[in-house]
Order: sequence, then C-alpha cells, then structure tokens
Amino acid sequence: MGYTFTLRTIYPYLGTLWQAAGLTLALSLLAIVISIVLGAGIAILRRSHSRLLRFIGAAYVEVMRNTPLLVILYIVYFAGPSIGIRLSSFNAALIGLSLNSAGYMAEILRAGLIAVAPGQFEAAHAQGLTALQTFRYVVFPQVFRTIYAPLGNQVIAVILASSLASAIAVDEVASWMETVGSTSFRFFETFVVAAIVYLVLCQAVNLGRLGIGRMLFRQGAVAR
Amino acid sequence: MTVDWLAYAPLILRAAGITLWLSWLGMLVGAVGGTGIALLRLSRWRILRLLALVYTEFWRSVPILIVMFFCYFGVPLVLGIDISPFTAATVALALHASSTMSEVVRAGIQSVGRGQWEAAQAAGLTPIQTMRYVIAPQAIRVVLPPSVGVFITTLKESSLASIIGYIELTKTGLLIRDSTDGGFIPLLALAVIYFLINYAISLGGGALERRFHIGRRLDTVGAMA
Repeated sequence: MGYTFTLRTIYPYLGTLWQAAGLTLALSLLAIVISIVLGAGIAILRRSHSRLLRFIGAAYVEVMRNTPLLVILYIVYFAGPSIGIRLSSFNAALIGLSLNSAGYMAEILRAGLIAVAPGQFEAAHAQGLTALQTFRYVVFPQVFRTIYAPLGNQVIAVILASSLASAIAVDEVASWMETVGSTSFRFFETFVVAAIVYLVLCQAVNLGRLGIGRMLFRQGAVAR
Repeated sequence: MTVDWLAYAPLILRAAGITLWLSWLGMLVGAVGGTGIALLRLSRWRILRLLALVYTEFWRSVPILIVMFFCYFGVPLVLGIDISPFTAATVALALHASSTMSEVVRAGIQSVGRGQWEAAQAAGLTPIQTMRYVIAPQAIRVVLPPSVGVFITTLKESSLASIIGYIELTKTGLLIRDSTDGGFIPLLALAVIYFLINYAISLGGGALERRFHIGRRLDTVGAMA
C-alpha cells in the first residue's frame, strides 16, 4: 500500500505533455484528412461500373476492417526499410493510421452516396446544372447530412487509435504516459493526466459535433 | 538465408488460440458488465442513470492502450499486488467492451415496446420473469448483430496485449520475426491470420443475422483498433 495520489510528482513532466498532446492532435488531424480523401476514392471505386474495381474497393475495406491497426503499423514501419524506403516513425504512423481509417471512411462515405437517389442526378442534369453545381447543390447537402454523425464517431476513433503510434516510437500522449510512468513510478497520476487529455479531445469533438449539428440541421437531433 | 516458415505453423496456431481465448474472455466479461450498465442506464433513479452514462462515456473516450498500461503498471503500484499481463489485458478489454456493449444492450431493450412491460405486469410476471421471458428473447435480435462487431473489435484490440508483454498472436509474430531474418513476412502472415479469423467471424455473424432475419450490422462506436 502506501501509495498516495499526488499530481505534484509529475509537474516536471508537464512541459513534454504539451508536445505529446500536440503530436497526438497533429497525427489525428492529418490522418483524418488523408483518410477522408482516400476513403472517398475507395467509395467511388465501390460504385464503379467495372466489377474488378468494385472488388478492389470492397477488398480494401474488408482487409482494413478485419486487421488490427497495430499489425498494420508494424508492417508500414518495418517493411519500409526492407524495400529501401526509410520512414520516420511519425510518417509511418500517419500512413498506417490513414490507410486503416480510410477503410472505415469509405464505408461512411458510401452510405452517404447511397442516400442520393440516382434519379436526382438525372433531374439535376435535366435542370441544366453542371456537374459541379450538381455536386454543390444536390449531392453534397444530402451526403453531408447522412455522414455527419458517423464521421464524428470516426474522428473520435482516430484520436483514440493514434495512441497505438506509441508502439512504433512516436512520442504522443500514450507514449508520454509510459515513459513518464516508468521513470517516475507514478503510473496512477500519469494515467489520470493522459486520460484527461484524451477525454478533453474526444468530448470536444463529441459536444462540438452535437452543437454544430443542431445549428446545421434544424429538425431532428443528430443521432449518435 | 532461407527460413523454413512452415516450422513455425504450430507455434502460430497455438498463439492464434491464445488470442481467441483472450478476446473471448474479454468479450464475455464485457457483455455481462455491459448488460449491468445498460440496466443502470434504464434505471428509475437519475443518479444511477448518470453514473452509467459517465462510465460509458469515460471508457469510450480513453484509448484502450493506456487503460492496459494502467492495469499492468499502475494497479500493482497502487494496490501493492502483482498483476499478470493476461489479467491486465483481459480487464482492459472487458472494460472497453462493456461500455460499447452497454449501448448495444440498451438499444436492444429499448427496441421492445413499452406496452410489453405493461402487458407482462398485467399478466402477473415479476420484473425478472418479464426480462427473461418477454424482453430478452426480443432484444437479442437487436443485440446480436452489433455484438459480432464488438467481438471483432475486441479481437483486434487484443493485439495490444503484446505491448505489455503478453505472448499472444502479435507478440508471437514479432518474436518469430526477431529470431529469423527480421523481414516482414511474419508481419504479413499476422495480418493474414487476423484477417482470416475476423472475416470468418463476420461471415458467421452474417449467417446468424440471416437466420434471425435481421438487417445489416450496425456500426459500433470506436470500432477502429
């Protein structure tokens, strides 16, 4: 026994916590942006006329959703040098996280595209809208509404998943907890602090999403 | 250097069994705990509902890896007891699964109409009997499909046990990698094995859904792992 919870013991390490939190945030935000772009490409593949392209899209999603992120990170990080590409651990983590998240994003975006009935494209065309106008005024508003809630969930999932980057030596928040915990033997305090950082990040996304959702979509609450 | 990869097959198979056992145990404890939390969420008392909500939101907003670190490194320090990597991993997996399962079970219970509770009461059933014979058989249809998803997530999350030194599938792959030429063949093999296990589970889940005539699997929160 004899363990007293004293946050003061980890004051000296709080300076590095900000850097760690910044890294977690940068990694998550970049991975989210990249995986939306990649995911959109895969969602479009899955609606292609070619059976082969549809299969590739579907296979990508299934592989990413059924393989642990940790294994994907190890493959990206360790396979690089084997084929002559040397990746920094941050870049390897970013690539692994983005590739994995793209599998989920593709499904979210595909559900959004399905929500737009094919007749609407024809109707927009008949109205004389250009492809760009069709996207801007017909497709986007409907897709956005459908993907809004799951997109928020995915953003939170990416923030949480970015903690695995610590396994390939990225000094983000989970890694901060492990390093500071093992040097100071204050694992309880470091856990509480790290948990608070993730809680704040995730709940900021969660509450922000609910608030913005209420402003954007008048009728009906945004489902979680 | 050529490596006889097939010689490692028995080792890998045993490790896959360990991973399945670990995830199954985490899922089982998580499902039981999650059902308890779901009942609290639907309780008559506001304080219990609030506690259950805080519990769910907390485990949902904290990465399972740091929970595992805490269970393995922190709890022994605080309580002065030894905790094996297996126990730490199981507890962390179960905590995480319980928060997702509580939402799944809650949705299942709520999918059963209010009138059924009243009808059961009018028929003289006790609350436990109502749950057992009226609500649960109907709720299971809603609970089952997303549970398959939670199990797959738990199985993927179980790979994190390798980080705290528990020798399951991922750790075995890494050890084989270390003892051979350090290439990425063992890592690719890991990915393939996890994929096959999880894909088989999701196909099995799909078959169950068709048997129960249920719609598509719901996406679960924080399913990425």
